[in-house]
Amino acid sequence: MKNVIEVKNLIKEYKEIKAVDNLSFEVHEGEILGLLGPNGSGKTTTINCLLSLLNYSSGSIKIFGKEMKPDSYDIKSKIGVVFQEVAVFDELTVYENVDYFCGLYINNKETRKKYIEDAINLVGLESFKNFYPKKLSGGLLRRLNIACGIAHKPKLIFLDEPTVAVDPQSRNNILDGIKKLRDNGATIVYTTHYMEEVEILCDRVIILDKGKILATGKTDELKELAKIEEKISIEINDLDINYIDKIKELKNVDDVKYSSNILLVTYKKGKNNLVEIMEFLKKNNIKYNKIYSERPTLNDVFLELTGKELRD
Amino acid sequence: MFIHNFKYSLKTLFRNKELIFWTFAFPIILATFFNMAFSDIENSEKLDIINIAIIQNDDFDNNEVFKSAFEEMSDKNNKDRLFETKYTTKEEAQKLLEEEKVVGYMELIDDKPKLTFITSGINETIFKYVSEEIMQTSNIINNLTEEEIQNQIMTGNFNVDYESIYNKVIEITTEENVKLKNISSDNLSYTMIEFYTLIAMVCLYGGILGTVSINQNLANMSNQGKRVSVAPTTKGKVILSSVLASYITQLIGVALLFIYTIFVLNVDYGNNLGLIIILAMVGSLAGLSLGVLVATIIKSNENVKTGIILSITMLGCFLSGMMGITMKYIIDKNIPIINKLNPANMITDGLYSLYYYETLDRYIFNVVSLLIFAFTLIVVSYISLRRQKYDSV
Repeated sequence: MKNVIEVKNLIKEYKEIKAVDNLSFEVHEGEILGLLGPNGSGKTTTINCLLSLLNYSSGSIKIFGKEMKPDSYDIKSKIGVVFQEVAVFDELTVYENVDYFCGLYINNKETRKKYIEDAINLVGLESFKNFYPKKLSGGLLRRLNIACGIAHKPKLIFLDEPTVAVDPQSRNNILDGIKKLRDNGATIVYTTHYMEEVEILCDRVIILDKGKILATGKTDELKELAKIEEKISIEINDLDINYIDKIKELKNVDDVKYSSNILLVTYKKGKNNLVEIMEFLKKNNIKYNKIYSERPTLNDVFLELTGKELRD
Repeated sequence: MFIHNFKYSLKTLFRNKELIFWTFAFPIILATFFNMAFSDIENSEKLDIINIAIIQNDDFDNNEVFKSAFEEMSDKNNKDRLFETKYTTKEEAQKLLEEEKVVGYMELIDDKPKLTFITSGINETIFKYVSEEIMQTSNIINNLTEEEIQNQIMTGNFNVDYESIYNKVIEITTEENVKLKNISSDNLSYTMIEFYTLIAMVCLYGGILGTVSINQNLANMSNQGKRVSVAPTTKGKVILSSVLASYITQLIGVALLFIYTIFVLNVDYGNNLGLIIILAMVGSLAGLSLGVLVATIIKSNENVKTGIILSITMLGCFLSGMMGITMKYIIDKNIPIINKLNPANMITDGLYSLYYYETLDRYIFNVVSLLIFAFTLIVVSYISLRRQKYDSV
C-alpha cells in the first residue's frame, strides 16, 4: 500500500522536555489513522511538525513522497487541516468563512462555489449559511471549523481533536462526515483522546504517551495487548467482601474489584463467563441490579501499557 | 489570491466594532470635544495682548534688530500687535513679574536674550519663541554683512557694495516679519494646534490596524494564522494584501476626520490642504508600520499589543503638545532627540510648519523623517517575518 506520510526518527524538544521522542510511522493511502493519547502526549505537536509549522530537532518527514518544508506549496495544496482550536473569523458569516479559507486553495470562483456548498452540506450547516460564528452553538462552530479545513477537497486531512466539547448530535454528524471523506478517497490522520471514536473510525491506531509510540496496529490487534478477554460489571449493593475471594477462585477469573457498589470481574480467556458468574450469584443468593459484559477497550490497552487511565 | 485576501481583510476590518470605534468614531468624538472646549478658549484669548518687560540696557539700545522688532510688535497702531511692552530696569521688571503685571521679562546680554518667567504657559512660550526668532535673524544679518564685506575684500574689490548687502538684509527681515506676523494673536489658533495633534493621533492609530493584519496571518499569533500558514500561499502575499487593506481603512478614517472637521466643525486648514493630506498619508504609513513592528516582535495577545500601540501614540501626542503646546517646546529645547524620533511630533511639526512658514523646508524634512521612520520599521519587521517555522505555536 502506498504511503502518503513517512515519518522517521522525529524528535521535537522544548528546552529539557522531549515533546516528540523519536517517532517513526507511516500513513497509508485511503486509511484513517488514529493518534490516540492523553492530553500532553505529543499528538498536536506531531501534527504541527508534519505541517511544517514547528521547528523540530531532528528526523525526516515526507508527504506524498516529497520532503515537507514550509514552502512546499504543491504538497500543501493537497492537505486540509482542522485544528483543535476553532479557527474562524467572527466577522465573517459561515459561508464567507468557508469561502475565505477555500479561496486560499481554489482560485476558480465557480469551482469554489460548488466546493463550499459540498462542505457546508457535509457538516450539515445548510440552514446556518448566513449566521455569524457567535450565533452558533459549540457543536455547530466545530462543524464550521471542519468545513473550513476540508472545503477544498484535500487528499490528506489532519483532524486534531475535532469533537472536543461538542454535543452528541454534532459528534455523530462530524464522525459521519469524516467517514464520508474517507469513502471519497481522502487519507485521514485523526487525533483524539476519545477511545470510542478511534474504535468507530480508525483503520489503524498509534497509541502515544509522553511523545513516544507505545503501540501501533489495528484496533483488534491492539486489544490483544490488554491481556484480558472479557470484563463483567455487576451492580450490587453492600456486597460481603468475603465473596470477593470466592469469586477470584472461579474458573478463568483474572482479577476482582469492588467499589462504589460495582463489582468488576476481569477474565483472561474463556467462554460462558457471564453464565458462570450469574450462577454463582444465584447460588449464594446475592441480589444484583444490573449486569453487563464488555470486550476490552483501548483504555485497557493503555492501562496495560502505562499503568494509568487514558484520561488521567 | 491577493485580491481574495484583500477583500476579506477589508470585510473583517469593517465588521470589527472595536476597530471601527477606534479608527472612525473615536477621533470624531475627540474632535467634537476639542472643538467645544478650545473654541471658547480661543475666543476668550484671541484678543489678549501679552504684557512683557524689557530691560533697557546698552546692549538693547545698540541692537537695532531687537529694538525695532519689539517696537513694531508693541505698536498700538499695528493690527497684528502681540505685546504690551514696558522698557524698564531689572529691579522694576522683577517687581512687575512678581506682581504678575507681566508674564516675563527679557534682558539682552551680549546680543543674546535672557528670559525670566515665574510660570510657564502659552504666553511665556510665545514671548520666548519670538525672542529666539529675533536673535536668529540678528545673527543671520550680522554673519551676512561680515561675509559680504570679506568676500568683496578677498576679490580685491575694496569698494564694498553696501546696496547689495542692504537688499539682502531687507529680504531677510521681510521673511522674518512674515514669520513673526504669523504668530500674531489673530493667527495663533489653539484649536488648530489641537487638531494637528489629533490628526497625528489618528494617523498613529493605524498601528492598531497594522497589528490586526499581522496577527491574523501568523501561525504563532492566532488560530486563523495557523490555517493561513498551512495554505499553499506565500506569507508575503497574504501579509501585504492584509496590510494594504489596513492602510486603506486607516486612510478612510483620516478622510472621515477631515470631512467632519471641515464641513461640520468648520475648521479652516488654510490653503495647504493637499500638503496636509500628503502628510496624513505618510503619517498613517508610519503608524501602520509601528503596528506591524509591534505585532511582529512582541509575542502576546492582541489586547496587549493594542494597549502598547495606544500607549505609544498617546505618549507621542502628549510630548508633541496634545495636552498643552508648552510640552512640545520644553522637549524641543531640552531633549530634542525625543521629538526627532517621535512620529507624532513629526506629523504635528510638519503641520505647524505649513501653518507658520512660507517655505516648505521644514515640512519636507518632517515628511522625509516619517518615510525613514516607516521604512526602518518595515525593514525590521520584514527580517523578523521571514522566519517560516516557529519554536512553538
